[in-house]
Amino acid sequence: MTERVFSIVGLFDSPQALLAAVPRLKLEAWHLEAYTPYPVRGLDAALEQRRSPLAGMVLVMGILGTFTAWLFQWWMNSVDYPIVVGGKDPSSWQAYVPIMFEVAVLFATFTAGLGMLFLLNKLPAFWHPFLLSRSAAKVTCDKFALAVEANDQALDVVAAESALREAGAVSVEIVYEPAPAKRASPNLLLGLAAVLAIGCSLAGYAVYWGIKLFPVLPPMSHMLVQPRADAFDSSGFFKDGRAMRSPVPGTIARGQLPYPVKTHEQAERLRNPLPRTHAVMLAGRSAYNNVCSVCHGPLADGTPTLTEAYGAKPANLQSGKFLKYSDGRIYDTIVRGMNAMPSYASPLTEHQRWAVVHYLRAVQRAQHAKDSDLP
Amino acid sequence: MKSPAPAILTAIGFLGAAAAYWLAGPERFWANYLVWMLMLISAGLGALFIAALEHLVAARWSVPLRRAAERAAGLLVPAAPIVLIGLFSLPVLYPWARPGAILPPAVAAKAVWLNVPFFSARAVACVLLWLLSWRVLVGGSMLQDSSKDPALTIRARRYAPFFMAAFALSVTLVAFDWISSLEPEWYSDVFGVYLFAGVFLAGLCVVSLAVIHMMEAGRLPGVKFDHLYNLGGFLFAWIVFWSYIAFAQYLLMWYANLPEEVFWYRQRVNGAWRAVALALALLHFVIPFFALIPKDVKGDLSRLRRAALLVLLAHFLDLYWLVFPVLGARPLFSWPELSFALLFIGLSSLWVRRSMGQGADMPIGDPFLEEGLAFRL
Repeated sequence: MTERVFSIVGLFDSPQALLAAVPRLKLEAWHLEAYTPYPVRGLDAALEQRRSPLAGMVLVMGILGTFTAWLFQWWMNSVDYPIVVGGKDPSSWQAYVPIMFEVAVLFATFTAGLGMLFLLNKLPAFWHPFLLSRSAAKVTCDKFALAVEANDQALDVVAAESALREAGAVSVEIVYEPAPAKRASPNLLLGLAAVLAIGCSLAGYAVYWGIKLFPVLPPMSHMLVQPRADAFDSSGFFKDGRAMRSPVPGTIARGQLPYPVKTHEQAERLRNPLPRTHAVMLAGRSAYNNVCSVCHGPLADGTPTLTEAYGAKPANLQSGKFLKYSDGRIYDTIVRGMNAMPSYASPLTEHQRWAVVHYLRAVQRAQHAKDSDLP
Repeated sequence: MKSPAPAILTAIGFLGAAAAYWLAGPERFWANYLVWMLMLISAGLGALFIAALEHLVAARWSVPLRRAAERAAGLLVPAAPIVLIGLFSLPVLYPWARPGAILPPAVAAKAVWLNVPFFSARAVACVLLWLLSWRVLVGGSMLQDSSKDPALTIRARRYAPFFMAAFALSVTLVAFDWISSLEPEWYSDVFGVYLFAGVFLAGLCVVSLAVIHMMEAGRLPGVKFDHLYNLGGFLFAWIVFWSYIAFAQYLLMWYANLPEEVFWYRQRVNGAWRAVALALALLHFVIPFFALIPKDVKGDLSRLRRAALLVLLAHFLDLYWLVFPVLGARPLFSWPELSFALLFIGLSSLWVRRSMGQGADMPIGDPFLEEGLAFRL
C-alpha cells in the first residue's frame, strides 16, 4: 500500500525569497501553507489565509457570559430566594454588574484559550505530518518552507515539485501522510482519560476509607501537636507527674494582699489611712449608694429599698451601738461580714472600703447634728 | 484661502453668549462657560498628556503623530485667560462663595479649602503649571525642528515625570475645585481619576481627529494603518477605563446610600436627568465600545473619525451632566447652550487652524522619527 502524499515542501533561504514565491504558486490554485522560524510580516496577507474566527467567538462568549451571570443572579436573588440586603430591591441590577463583568471576562478568556487549543490548533492531535519530514528540522533553524498541500485531494506531485523549484526553492521534499495506525486516536485518548478518572476515584475512595478505618496516624495534625505542656497534662519531667506547678509557698497574687485581722480587738486597732477630702467623700458616697444603701438605706438608718422580700432586718447604723463603733471595726465588718451580712471585700476595693467608712461617719453625724456643728 | 466659517461661528456664538447673560441669567451663562472651559482644558491638557506620555515611556511609534498632539496642546494658551475669567463665576455658581450665604456645618467646615483667595491661587497655579509644561515640551519640540538637537529630546524625557506629577495634581484639583465644589457637601475620592479618564479621552479624540485630517491632506507621509490602530486601541481601552471608574463610583455610593453622597446621584439619575444619564451610558460606553471592537475600525480613517467625534460629544455630555444639574431638576438645552457651543468650537477651530501652521507637520528634528515611521504592528 502506497502512502498518501500530504504535501510537497520547498525550502527557501530567506523570507524575501519565500514571499516572492507565494504569488507564483498561487497561480495554480493550490492550497499553500508556510512554515517559518519566526513570524514573517506580510505572509498572512500573501497566503490569503482566512482571518481567525477566534475574535468573534470570544465576543459571542463574552456577551453570553454577561447574560448568563445576569440571569443567574436575577433568578437566585429576586425569584428563587429573594433577600433584602441593605434595604435594596432584591432585583437591583446595579449589584449584579461586577459579577456580570467577571463572568464575561471568564467566558471570554476560556473561549480564547480553549478555543485556540482545541478548535483551531486541533488538540488532541499532538502531531502534524510535517513534523515527520526532514524539512521540519531545518525550519526550526534557518530555512523558510512553503508547502503545497494535497488537502485530501489528488495532487500533481511532479508539477508542484517543478513549480516550487522554478519559484526558487533550494530543495524540495515530498511529505507523506503516515499510516493511520500511527495516530493517537481520539478513542485511545478518551480511554486514557477514562482510566485516569476511574483510577483517581478509586484512589480517593481507598485513601478515604483507609484513613477512616485505620486511624493509625492523624493525617493532618498541623498545629494540633506542639511540644508544649498544656494545663492538666501529665508530665514525666516532674516527680509528681503533673505538668502544672504549684506556686512557691507564700506567693501573693497581684492586688490580693492577705487580711491579717482575726479578732475585734485587732480590728479596733486599724486606722483609716485616707484623708477626709472632698474626692474621698465623693468616692465613699458613690460606693455606699451603689453597694451598701440597698440594705442599710440611703441615710444608713436600716430602712432599705429592696429588702421586703429578703426577710432579714438590716442593721440601723444610726443606732447607738454603731455610733460607738470605731473606724476599724466598721472596716472589719465590711471585709468579713456580720450575722446575715456577707463579706463585701470583693465588690469594694480597699480604697473604697475606707472611703465608705469616712462617708458613713459623715452620714451618722449629719443625722445627729448638734447646734455646735452649725458654722 | 481659508474658510471664514469659524470666524463667523465665533461671532454668532459670542453674540448669543452675551445675550444669554442678560436673557437667560448669569447662572446659566456661567454654567455654560464652565462646561466649555472644562472642555477646552480637557482637549488641551489631554493632548499635552499624550505628548508627555511618549517622552515618559520613550515610545517610538507615536513620534510621527506627536506634532498633532503638540499643536492641540496649544489650546491651553487660550484656556489660561478663560480660566482666569472663569473665576468670576465663583459667587454665582458656587454656594460656598455666595456672599452672605448661610452654609450647613459640613460645608462651613471646609472653608479652609473652599474660599475665594485660596481657590483662585490654586486655579492660577494649575494654569501656570500647564503653561510651563507646554513651553518646555512643545516649545522644545518646535525648537528641535530646526536645531535637530537630541539634547531637547533628553530634556523632554527628564521633564516628563515632573509633568506627570503636576498633571495628576492639577487634574484632581480641577475636578475637586471646579466640579465637585459646585455641590460642596458631596465628596468622592475617585472623582479626580474620573475626570482624568475623560481628559485623556478628549485628548485622544482631538489628536486622532487632527491626525486623520492631516493624513487626508497628505501631510503625514509614512503614517499608516498601524499608527492609527494604536490610537484607536487607546480610545477603546480608555472608554472601558472611564466606564469602570464611573460605575465604580456609582456602585459604591448606591450601595452605601449615605445621604451626603447619594443626593448627588439622585439629582442626576432621577426624573428628567435620567434620559441624560442613559444617553451618557450609551454614548460614552456602549456605542463606542461595540463600534471599536473590530480591528479594521481602529485603523480606518473615516470610521475612527466618527468614533472620535462620538466620544468627544460624549465627553461634552459628561461635563454637561456633571455641571448642569445644579441649575435645576430639568436639563436646560436651547439657544444659550448652542451659542456657547458655536463660540467655543469656533474659537478652538480658529486657534487650532492657526497652530496647524506652526512648525513642521511631524517632529522632523526628533532622532526617533524614522523608527516611529517604520513602526509595524
